[in-house]
Amino acid sequence: MADKTVTSTRKLTIAKSMAEAISQEMGRDESVLVMGEDIAKLGGVFGNTGGLLDAYGPERVRDTPISETGFIGAAVGMAAAGMRPIVELMFVDFFGVCMDAIYNLAAKQSYFSGGRVACPMVLMTSVGGGYGDAGQHSQCLYATFAHLPGMKVVIPSNAYDAKGLMLAAIRDPNPVIFMYHKALQGMGWLGTVPGSIVPVPQEDYEVPIGAARVVREGSDVSLVGLGATLHHCLDAAASADNDGISAEVIDLRTIAPLDRATVIASARKTGRLIAVDDDYMTCGVAGEVIASVCESGTKLKAPPIRIAHPDIPIPFSPAMEHFVLPNQDKVKAAIKSVMEAAR
Amino acid sequence: MSKIESNRSHRLWMYRNMVKSRAFEDAVKSAYFEGKQPLFNMANGPIPGEMHLSNGQEPCAVGVCAHLRVDDTVTATHRPHHIAIAKGVDLNRMAAEIFGKESGLSGGRGGHMHLFDPNVNFTCSGIIGQGLGPAVGAALAARMKGSDAIAVAFLGEGAVNQGAFHEALNLAAVWKAPVVFVIEDNAYGISVAKRQATAVERNADRAVGYRMPGVFVPGNDPDAIYEAAGEAIAHARRGDGPSLLELETTRLEGHFIGDAEGYRPKGEVAALRKDDPIPRFRTLLEQDGVTASELERIEKEADAAVDAAFDFARASSLPPGEAAFAHVFFEGNRSWPTRP
Amino acid sequence: MSEIIVPTDLWDDDSLGVISTWLFEDGDAVSQGDIVAEVMNEKISFDIAAPASGTLAIDVPTESEVSQGDAIGRILSA
Repeated sequence: MADKTVTSTRKLTIAKSMAEAISQEMGRDESVLVMGEDIAKLGGVFGNTGGLLDAYGPERVRDTPISETGFIGAAVGMAAAGMRPIVELMFVDFFGVCMDAIYNLAAKQSYFSGGRVACPMVLMTSVGGGYGDAGQHSQCLYATFAHLPGMKVVIPSNAYDAKGLMLAAIRDPNPVIFMYHKALQGMGWLGTVPGSIVPVPQEDYEVPIGAARVVREGSDVSLVGLGATLHHCLDAAASADNDGISAEVIDLRTIAPLDRATVIASARKTGRLIAVDDDYMTCGVAGEVIASVCESGTKLKAPPIRIAHPDIPIPFSPAMEHFVLPNQDKVKAAIKSVMEAAR
Repeated sequence: MSKIESNRSHRLWMYRNMVKSRAFEDAVKSAYFEGKQPLFNMANGPIPGEMHLSNGQEPCAVGVCAHLRVDDTVTATHRPHHIAIAKGVDLNRMAAEIFGKESGLSGGRGGHMHLFDPNVNFTCSGIIGQGLGPAVGAALAARMKGSDAIAVAFLGEGAVNQGAFHEALNLAAVWKAPVVFVIEDNAYGISVAKRQATAVERNADRAVGYRMPGVFVPGNDPDAIYEAAGEAIAHARRGDGPSLLELETTRLEGHFIGDAEGYRPKGEVAALRKDDPIPRFRTLLEQDGVTASELERIEKEADAAVDAAFDFARASSLPPGEAAFAHVFFEGNRSWPTRP
Repeated sequence: MSEIIVPTDLWDDDSLGVISTWLFEDGDAVSQGDIVAEVMNEKISFDIAAPASGTLAIDVPTESEVSQGDAIGRILSA
């Protein structure tokens, strides 16, 4: 991690780091405001807006009615007027009721105005399953948003990146979809992934949007993950060490614009590629990663492997849900397979 | 623009903008058909795509916009030209945008349904009902910045059946946002008559469900619209919150150019054309003592402005293909809008 | 030495909470007021602050059940 000198090694959960980023920026910039369902009094169903109402009051921290089209459309209008709204779509699965305001208005505001009117809006939204919330509350939809022009899409895997990406997102004059994975929030009642709870500097810093990160260097195989699957990759890489296999792990961090260069450089180095994605498989981010490497002419020592959620609604019963989700065992099996395969 | 000194000057302003608007639409229609005869293929000609003309609805635009300032925000629909003109959108650049030229409002990237003019805070969008939320946001932003600027959202009578309508009106009332919702009721959502699609006779009656005043203005009459709009806009500007206006108007052309309008009863359009609001208003002005020469001067100036705009548009060059890639993301100063 | 106690006014009944997260490692330097742990009861998370500055000693690990009033760690004087 690009650590600054910190006076304490305090760690934060992703939820808390998002709230800290938003709070610090609201203190610096009066034009920043937050709205969404349950974000004020409750501090967010997923803990990412805790403390904001007390600090900044109800004009700038607003609980909204259940009117996503209404308040996300309003955020677009506020952004056009030069404010910096941060608006929450509680579950990414709810995009069906408000997608027009996102992909036809926010994402096209710069284009339709010929670059004269920006849309400095952040849409934060929870993604991911694995805790039995079934087919309408567990989706990832990375590809759905990444596919559409005019918006940036980010997903941190840890609290350090979360704070830095949130600050970058608020300051970006473009619409940024800030996806936070429910399994990584640190909410306790959603399970905890310790690897996401890391030291976070108190002071101001940004993590650039559009830059993937090599979080573990290796020479035998490149594992590419995002959000929760990044941790599956790290766990599988640690295990592969025991078998004498050196795995390189890349955290995409930004889905759109995708940092193809970092992935291609890694695949060029190792010659083996495994992309791990908990979104639906067909036309997904894992496929895009692999296609990008193939197009670059990089010679691979084995066919690339993508591990993704199959093209089925996310099943409720844990027996089935955990059967279909990516996990570290599937990544380990893929590593074994790719090491044994010949081109 | 909207400094209304006497009864007459604002009426002349309204007449001027209605005439200019109609001249513009007629010129658009004529240009639109170039390259599309004898075979009407929408893709052909200097103005491709769909075209939604506002002939007959001019009173709605001028009666409302006569009260607006430059810093008031207007969001409009897929049928925007009359409203854009009344709001003061740059006519040359609007024409150029419709022709897809580089000198257009967005360099040809938006076209007739996606006209943005930040100089006068005007935008329009092609998805039904989706301009309402942004108008609520613009109104809230104005108040948060300590300004008494307001927002106006135009919509058709068909749009009241979109979820966005209910959400935006409720939200505006809950936030007490300084926004006026203006329904242009031209009786048709493409081919579907209002009676078939809407459960209530008067959409203004819905306002009570959103705790705001609702006013129905019959007759497509600029003076009556001016009066009702004046009250609603003043109501918003002094901080009393949103209102809903329902304006009865007429759509003299098809939903889009090329619409054969077989769904309209025989003789309906001809009858409406006999009651065209512009000649009717002209007669009222004459009765009010406006001289024929003054009216002719206004009409000549309107024609000249439209001619100039179309000359500008036709003389402008098309953008190079590569220009498609610019402005997908905002490329200007990161702290847009630059603050003092 | 100061004890880190789960406050007795966090939730209404005498149900158990769970330590969901320690935000520092055993042996880390902490300042008075730093949020050192999160305790969860039902679906609500409560922040537990360090009562003093010094070195953190974790006595009750993550995922352990605790009652209000329990000591879960200590701050050792610097």
